[in-house]
Amino acid sequence: MRNRIIATLSVAALVAAACGGSTQSPAASVVAPSQPAASSEATAATASLAPTTLRVLIHQNPPFTTFMESFNKKFEVAHPGVTVDMAVVAPNDLATTTQTRLAAKDVDVVDMFAFDTGVQSYMKEVTPPIWQTLADAGSLLDLTDQPFVQNYDPAATKDAGTYNGKVYEINLARVGFSGLYINEDLFAANNVKVPTTWAELVAACQAFKTASVPCMTAGGQDVWPIFVTGYGILGSAYPDQAALVEGLWTGSIKWNDPTSLAMWDKLRILATDMIESGATGIPADGAPGRFASGEVATLSGFTWLAPAIEAAQPSFKWTFIAFPGSDTAADNKYVFGKYDQGWTVAADTPNKDAALAYLSEFSEPTTYQKFVTAVGAIPTQPGATLDTALGRAIAPSLGDFRIGWERYWIPPTGAGQFAFPYASFFKPFGEFVTAQQAADAAQKDLQAGLDAIK
Amino acid sequence: MKSPFGRGLAGAIPYGLVLPGLLLYLVFALGPSLATIVYSLTDTNGLTPRPLNFIGLANYQEFLFRGAAAQENIQALLRTLLFCFLVTTIQFTLGLLAALLLNQRLAGTRWFRALFFLPVILGVTIQGLVWRLFLYPLDGPVDSVLGLFGVQSELLGGSGLSAFLWVTVVQIWSNLGITMVIFLAGLQTIPDELHEAARIDGASRRQGFWHVTWPLLTPAVTTNLILSIIGSLQAWQLFLVLINYRPGTQVLGYVVYAQAFGQTSGSTTSNSFRQGYGAAASVVLFVVVFIVGVTAQYLLRRREERLLG
Repeated sequence: MRNRIIATLSVAALVAAACGGSTQSPAASVVAPSQPAASSEATAATASLAPTTLRVLIHQNPPFTTFMESFNKKFEVAHPGVTVDMAVVAPNDLATTTQTRLAAKDVDVVDMFAFDTGVQSYMKEVTPPIWQTLADAGSLLDLTDQPFVQNYDPAATKDAGTYNGKVYEINLARVGFSGLYINEDLFAANNVKVPTTWAELVAACQAFKTASVPCMTAGGQDVWPIFVTGYGILGSAYPDQAALVEGLWTGSIKWNDPTSLAMWDKLRILATDMIESGATGIPADGAPGRFASGEVATLSGFTWLAPAIEAAQPSFKWTFIAFPGSDTAADNKYVFGKYDQGWTVAADTPNKDAALAYLSEFSEPTTYQKFVTAVGAIPTQPGATLDTALGRAIAPSLGDFRIGWERYWIPPTGAGQFAFPYASFFKPFGEFVTAQQAADAAQKDLQAGLDAIK
Repeated sequence: MKSPFGRGLAGAIPYGLVLPGLLLYLVFALGPSLATIVYSLTDTNGLTPRPLNFIGLANYQEFLFRGAAAQENIQALLRTLLFCFLVTTIQFTLGLLAALLLNQRLAGTRWFRALFFLPVILGVTIQGLVWRLFLYPLDGPVDSVLGLFGVQSELLGGSGLSAFLWVTVVQIWSNLGITMVIFLAGLQTIPDELHEAARIDGASRRQGFWHVTWPLLTPAVTTNLILSIIGSLQAWQLFLVLINYRPGTQVLGYVVYAQAFGQTSGSTTSNSFRQGYGAAASVVLFVVVFIVGVTAQYLLRRREERLLG
């Protein structure tokens, strides 16, 4: 009997391990709104720093990483005795790593995605986004009075870095995610016109298919590039994305109403017919290389991919257009996007002076300009310009830049995993075959959450 | 009280030797496990430096009964049990076959033993990345082989079921070596005299296996089944490395991670941390593992007593 008890307790011990475990974007332009840049007084004031190791956390984006490595070297040279220990994590892991390292007091400067829309008045019983949780928790340093904040467009600082009247983040960039990169040589060689409407895009893909040329590629392995790719179609169906989110919450818009159903059908075509076979194995940061190989006609993607395309094949000829999701060309003028990354500082950092100097020097207009050029960001600092191929291509669309859906959406607690307008739900990335299947599943999962809070 | 190890210092030394390990277990295993139960009754997000806000059984109510998400949790639970069944049965069978084969006096057996055991010493991340390359759908090795037979598959990126089955394959591959080594150890404790006696009595190879080898392998069978059942019920890391957040693929362990560390939307930016809710999911997983583990232990012990006395 005693042996049985011991054996049972042994099993219990083994299994015990089981436990343990106002945000509307201003119309952007390639040149950010005019604003006097702050002087470098702050930099001068912090020029002599005590020897220390400054711990910096950023997300993986090859051009950004390369730029930061260069910036870190210059920072270390400017401040003898200061060492920058920079960790790079995959975008999917940034939130988790941020949370754990902040909790462990193991990081000083954190690259954080923008402070976008938080919980809205019509939302009930939802979990706030991580930035709001961190700010409420007192984990982020108040940057409101720091001189370098003045270097940035006040609208960007207000929309993407301010919470409860305090600035916690300097936001570095706006990015567009509803775009289409065009392989100019393949379009010319196959005598295909660059599409301005959905019908033209469908026809273009058909022409490429006939010529045995893959129409579109995307980083399907990480899944999110597929559903973000579909945001151009979502935007063409619902140009006012804030109203869309409110409509979904209040019931005035449904995922299976006629407008949505048409949207789902386009998402189906995008995932099943347009994106090349095998894209499920291409990682997000591998897609630019695949496109730059010249073998694919288009790359559905985001503005931040442009530097990687250029780096992969400098002589490759490409351009960028707003995703033609609508059958009316005029409706396809919008580039939907978001405020992207920014810098925050841990509230209880022991290296506060070094951290602030780091941000201050990064914010110097000349340094910031180099960042914009390297990363292909749409600048948030006055006077900075995106003088690249992407900048020239996107310039006509930037007056119609709009914040996209995912920056507003917080699902009701209890909603299912299909309560999202994701192209990735369709084969080959998902299970659905018809638009009706996806539309009904999305509405059912959304309604289940809405019903649960009644 | 008299120590079973003797009087005075001699009687106390064994307890002293056990103490460090016991303390480590209490601090790093049992303590966090008990804390998890406490956290499961709160709405903590793991960040807020404020007193714990107890919300009773609300997390459990939500996890098991609220909306479509609860149905998905139940599906994840059933998927976990299916994963456990597939991994345990296939890994057990293949491990036994490999051990029987590599227990022969044949050329190259040591090399093959090392080869089969090699995946065990790789970390989960390395295992996952290796298989991602193997399963790359644009002319990767597996895709190329399938292509020879005219089969086109998205492999890991395909349907939820396809991705789930591929993770099952990788899980088996990564742990097969342990199963094999335990069986090998069991086989090598069986005296040759018993096999010889059976042969003299006219037993065929098959009879020798079922009436000599199999009964005497009982301790190894018990160990392998318990390890495999518990390990596969808790497994989730390969799901993260190989397929990340995908509808129709999650097992319960992954749900715990996703809820606690903001990986539920598939989005890289709009994450929320629900560590109280994740703790409740973890306790549910604990209960499942406990019930299955204790039941398996009970049945296997009875089998041992029946076969070995």
